[in-house]
Amino acid sequence: MTDNEQHLSSERKYPALYEKLVTIALGVILVAIVVLLIAAATVALGLFSGK
Amino acid sequence: MNIFSTLLPFASCVVSFVFAFLVFKRYLARRGPHLLLWGIGMTMYGIGGFCEAYYGMFGWNPLVFRLWYLFGALLVAAWLGQGTVYLLAKRRWADILMIVLGLASIYGAIRIFGAQLNPTQMGANELSHKAIVSGGVPWLTACLNIYGTLALVGGAAYSIYIFWRKRILLNRVIGNIFIAVGALSPAIGGTLSRLGIGGVLYISELLGAILLFIGFIRATTPMASAPTATASVATPPVEGPEK
Repeated sequence: MTDNEQHLSSERKYPALYEKLVTIALGVILVAIVVLLIAAATVALGLFSGK
Repeated sequence: MNIFSTLLPFASCVVSFVFAFLVFKRYLARRGPHLLLWGIGMTMYGIGGFCEAYYGMFGWNPLVFRLWYLFGALLVAAWLGQGTVYLLAKRRWADILMIVLGLASIYGAIRIFGAQLNPTQMGANELSHKAIVSGGVPWLTACLNIYGTLALVGGAAYSIYIFWRKRILLNRVIGNIFIAVGALSPAIGGTLSRLGIGGVLYISELLGAILLFIGFIRATTPMASAPTATASVATPPVEGPEK
């Protein structure tokens, strides 16, 4: 992040509720991507063949 | 008629076609390959839902199954994800990936329409990849779905991060959250279905279509009240962050 961007982001704020929600959502989405990739890999490798 | 296996996919079909119509309308007004690909992707989503509803209402039909597998299981995620690739990646890379996707789509169509089918391998209520007896197709499906989901969800997450870091365009941040969760929903449902857990695929698809629709509307509609700002910042001209 450049100095200019740091300066801007320190001045600009979303409403308080969104500040928290967006952070949580980003975290959940990233975790979901990792979990999904692991699940897809295990299915593709045949570790879980299903019934 | 099983309400669960007919009305849920039919609702997905209607939502997807309405969504596709709006995306095509936006494409005609603003152009951009990402809008064209998203429109095509949502049309595929709708075809998949229609085929599932057909199976729930009338039962097995080989042509309907092949259409479902081609559009609803093999191509939809990859074509939607390719739209996001055009939005975020350099045009040269997006074009190369588009050629690969086009060839994979043609190869997949040939394999699916030439595959041996055995409907007794499926459950009674849901269409399933298990009806395809021939080898090779499930691998292609896994590769295209991983590519599409990573591109669509990863692209949305990247857009969220870029806008959030600059604290601009809250509508696109919220819209992309819906798009990411909407794309994850059928991916999770499809993975659970492959793990042998039935009954969640159609719900996850309907949820996905609705969330993607809400996300698109939210991302393309400015918020009623802008976030608190003390500095003016130039806003990117498209739904995603600048390349």
